[in-house]
Amino acid sequence: MTDFDAIVVGSGMSGGWSAKELCERGLKVLVLERGPEIKPERDYVDQLPPWQEKNFDRIAQEEIEKHYFRQYPGVAYAVKESNKHFWVKDDENPYETVEGTSYDWLRGYHTGGRSIMWSRQSYRMGPQDFTANKDENVAIDWPVRYEEIEPWYDYVEEFAGIAGNRDGLEQLPDGVYQPGFELTDAEKFFKSQIETSFPGRNVIQARIAHLTNATDEQRSLGRTNCQSRNRCHFGCSFKAYFSSLHATLPAAERTGNMTIVHNAIVQSLEYDSATNRISGVRIVDAESNENRTYTSRIVFLNASAIASAMILLQSKSEAFPNGLANSSNQVGRNLMDHISGAGANGILQGFDNKKVFGRRPSGGIYIPRYANITENDKPFSRGFGYQGGASPVGNAGGQIAGIGKDFKEAHKSPGPWRINIGAFGEQLPNPNNRVTLHPTKTDKWDNPQALFDVSYGENEHTMLEEARKDAVAMLEAAGCTDINSNPVSLTVPGNRIHEMGSARMGNDPESSVLNKWCQTHDVPNLFITDGAFMTSAACQNPSISYMAFTARACDYAVKLLNENQI
Amino acid sequence: MTTRREVLQGMIVSIGGASLLTACGGVAQVIPSDAGDLRFFGFEEMDLVSRVSDLIIPRTDTPGALDVNVPGFLDGLMAEWANAETQRDQHRNLRLLRAQLGGDFAELDSSTAESRLAQLDADAFDGRPEQYSAYRSWKGLITNAYFASEEGALLEQQWVAVPGRWDPSVEI
Repeated sequence: MTDFDAIVVGSGMSGGWSAKELCERGLKVLVLERGPEIKPERDYVDQLPPWQEKNFDRIAQEEIEKHYFRQYPGVAYAVKESNKHFWVKDDENPYETVEGTSYDWLRGYHTGGRSIMWSRQSYRMGPQDFTANKDENVAIDWPVRYEEIEPWYDYVEEFAGIAGNRDGLEQLPDGVYQPGFELTDAEKFFKSQIETSFPGRNVIQARIAHLTNATDEQRSLGRTNCQSRNRCHFGCSFKAYFSSLHATLPAAERTGNMTIVHNAIVQSLEYDSATNRISGVRIVDAESNENRTYTSRIVFLNASAIASAMILLQSKSEAFPNGLANSSNQVGRNLMDHISGAGANGILQGFDNKKVFGRRPSGGIYIPRYANITENDKPFSRGFGYQGGASPVGNAGGQIAGIGKDFKEAHKSPGPWRINIGAFGEQLPNPNNRVTLHPTKTDKWDNPQALFDVSYGENEHTMLEEARKDAVAMLEAAGCTDINSNPVSLTVPGNRIHEMGSARMGNDPESSVLNKWCQTHDVPNLFITDGAFMTSAACQNPSISYMAFTARACDYAVKLLNENQI
Repeated sequence: MTTRREVLQGMIVSIGGASLLTACGGVAQVIPSDAGDLRFFGFEEMDLVSRVSDLIIPRTDTPGALDVNVPGFLDGLMAEWANAETQRDQHRNLRLLRAQLGGDFAELDSSTAESRLAQLDADAFDGRPEQYSAYRSWKGLITNAYFASEEGALLEQQWVAVPGRWDPSVEI
């Protein structure tokens, strides 16, 4: 007899989905969250007006140097004085990198994980993304095709709530959308210029996980429509953007089947070689340092691609001396992120008589991948999409000429419109890009520190050089003036916070960790549905894919349980 | 002719006057009346920042930089946010700014002081030469501090806490 039917490790983007799907199917589920509980009424600061922000909401420089020396440089746009409690303190959560490499491991340990800090862009992977590895003989083939996951995208999008437009693009399939955030006039002009000048390229509304026409189900969870405040990085008291904290976890909670334990850091999974099953999940309490072991019939790892891999690597046994479910030696390898650091901005003339009302959350426009889709003359494989938008330059922050009344008045004008586009590109899987356990260094709970060894290859560098050229060419074609485009500066691996691939899925147990259902080849009652399962990265923001694969895996796991197959 | 002492008196009057403006409140704090109240600025630095702030963003039909205590906010910012290196840099920047405005800047009458600052500003934004980066930096701080105040945000920027909708195309 086990303590629970299922244990879900992690309460973030995918863990919340595991909890919801398993609870709704009648399983008694324990969710283990390594961080403390987030209470929105106490911890959210989205209602704070600018004049109540301390020091421009900047974290003191000495505090950054002491506690946030990796988090702050990595995501300075999001890590602020008022919300710094959403981000880990680097001195308390150390990790290492192999000499000559660097890695941004940007995290939040609390209920909901990074689902309360994400940027909410939600694009499906396309049919080409599931066949690219096979077509190009790169890494291993995905064991899944788009058609198999398509209904699960529908399912999770309807529940999560995605605002967007159905654009009819084969490489970026349409989904179940609520009304999108309409493009500004400048963006519409840019769209027309690009689509005329570059047949095969499209400019579409960003697709973002915000409610704009909340369904009865969403309202029943206390969620309401987005209020266009753009305070999302501070939490959302309206529960308008998708987070596990306000969507999946409450849905799990209301079944009466969920138990959630905070401050529970999973150290290892205990393996019973007689049954070939996980027999227990061992944790250390982050506050008391006490160890406990919970048992369940199945385990879902949703700790994030890096942490899930580390848990496996820490779970050594006679049967798995190199880490649990690691007979393929692929655990921790093929670690991927997306690449940025190429783009351009410029002034779009002719819109000085227009302004906007409201503050649109997340992005404005998206330029779906065209490289090696509609244009096949590229010196690289795969491709990239651009995120961006056009808006009035507005308050210039004093960086315009003039003083006195006229200067003051000038700040009332929205001013000229600037458009900005930045590339998000695909990183190819490479088994040498990996996270391992540091051989000697541990954290304060005596858990091994992560050791990263990740570098970009020639394809990534070449891709972004081309992305920069294309960005400038598009802005020129749109008639922009004052075009700025800095030399390409590839983002540090991990910086896009899209870590994935560390326990990839595949058909062959000798070269992959998971089967097509996110079930480990080696241990039947162990599933991994965070970004670890990704066999390739595509170039789309991945969270909606994690959600879809998680829901599908849960459905499969429960069927196996009901048939007594695991 | 307005002297440094009169400028400081003006600041105090400005605070008093601001209290009569129903929109004023929130961030406005008491302007330090002597160096003993200061946490980062020296007295002359406070004097300089105050006068420059008043000239860059004067009181019009809405409160000005002194009404919302921009100098006091920046004094606190540098004391609480800046590390020792940044503090040293900013003291140096203020010395440079004082030199560029002339040693007699504090004693100039309003009109002359405005003309001198206007000339410095024109030079600083004509090609953005490096030697005026200190001025541009402090101008940015002053401006951002003003628009981050309740009065600056609500009266000047028309900031709305909960817009409730997104309209991408509003005719001006």
